[in-house]
Amino acid sequence: MKIFRLIFTLLLLYNTSGTNLHPENRQSKDITIAAAADLVLAFSEIGKLFEKTYGIRTKIIYSSSGTAREQIANGAPFDIYASANIKFVDDLIKAGKIIPDTQELYGIGRVGAATSVKTKLRISSLNDLLKSDYKKIAIADPSHAPYGLAAKQTLEKLGLWDKLKDKMIYAKDIQHSLSLLNTGNVEAAFISLSVVNTKKVNFYLADDKLHAPLKQSIAVVKGTKKEMEARKFIKFVNGTEGRKIMIKYGFILPDGK
Amino acid sequence: MNGINLFPLFLSFKVASASVAIALITGIPLAYFLSRNKNRLSYFIDSLMNLPIIFPPTVLGYYLLVLLGRQSHIGKFLENNFDIMIVFTPLGAVLASTIVSIPYLIKAAKVSFEEVDKDYINAARVMGKTETVIFFTIILPIAWRGVISGVSMAFARALGDFGTTLMVAGSIPDETLTMPIAIYNSLQADDGKTANIMVLIMTIIALATLFIISRLSYKRKGERNA
Repeated sequence: MKIFRLIFTLLLLYNTSGTNLHPENRQSKDITIAAAADLVLAFSEIGKLFEKTYGIRTKIIYSSSGTAREQIANGAPFDIYASANIKFVDDLIKAGKIIPDTQELYGIGRVGAATSVKTKLRISSLNDLLKSDYKKIAIADPSHAPYGLAAKQTLEKLGLWDKLKDKMIYAKDIQHSLSLLNTGNVEAAFISLSVVNTKKVNFYLADDKLHAPLKQSIAVVKGTKKEMEARKFIKFVNGTEGRKIMIKYGFILPDGK
Repeated sequence: MNGINLFPLFLSFKVASASVAIALITGIPLAYFLSRNKNRLSYFIDSLMNLPIIFPPTVLGYYLLVLLGRQSHIGKFLENNFDIMIVFTPLGAVLASTIVSIPYLIKAAKVSFEEVDKDYINAARVMGKTETVIFFTIILPIAWRGVISGVSMAFARALGDFGTTLMVAGSIPDETLTMPIAIYNSLQADDGKTANIMVLIMTIIALATLFIISRLSYKRKGERNA
């Protein structure tokens, strides 16, 4: 018994003295970013370059924009919120959780439908999805996922939504949608251009006039101890280097900025 | 959002009930087997049964999707020959919640089978009763409470499953969208009000169901205090 008590005490000591559990003990220059799922590729690259340039490490947490918004509304210790939907940032500004003057538009996303390179299926028009070859189609849940909503709007404009409704499988975000495609459980999946890996999928880019623009907005979270560093990161994303990477992953730059 | 769609609630209860039914039919014999046999094989199966509890639900769901999905041998066979899909159907949801909930039933049932006094069993054997008769007339009635507690835990776990169902069932509104996922979706859409109402309805009905199940274990023996 004694030995167990000793191990337990040691474990307890080890845990409480560990630096990771206490946000204030974190390395002073690290910044934590809550980023939308469509930024996985672009922000990983920008984060690395930012670290190289300024010596500030970035920790990026990718999730659906809705999840991050709820977390920030409830006091999550993030320094930056990069959302796939500008409305979510506006919500948080209203709730007093964002430093309003830090908000910047940094890109406009593009949505489209992907098929796996393992199959012979290739989409040349969204009408193709009506074919019986396409039994199931994945879409990020339009009730809360920005790209899912854009895809739904597009299909509605084309008069295809009602005909395709029964084929739709609802994913929690575009990453989930993509994984349904990669595991071969759907024949096609609506995803963002920014997560397309041409080695794995063929992609049909939808006409962006058919849906509301996917305005991506980034801002500093109120209460951060690293406001300076966070502002620097936002400037970096929207600066020459950052924009180069955003373009590379298929984002359209916001005009006027 | 005007009015709350109660489809997910009914679906969740149907799925949880079906899962418990399947869990009972397959889990009780297995629990009995595990309670009677103490060898390497039984210990191995016993440990194996815990895997659904150990795995993160979404990871478990992912593996089910790969194992039973449309590209798996089983999935392909069913789809090509019978045009049946397991994933993205209510059946997929039932399967997902059966797998996550069955360990709770087996654990509880196994322990209560083990605790049945051997003298009763041996006495019945001396009187010439067959093993099946002994199981249904002696072991099951004595172990009833443990089985019921397993049933209520399994039901609760099945009803509340999120991650595994999310991966396997496809969250199709009015088809495979269960209550926990509907609640998650409302929260994601910043509709806390709808989410709260749904949570309230689900909590009340779930508590009532569990209350009735636990009462059952006492009613059966016609006594009030344990």
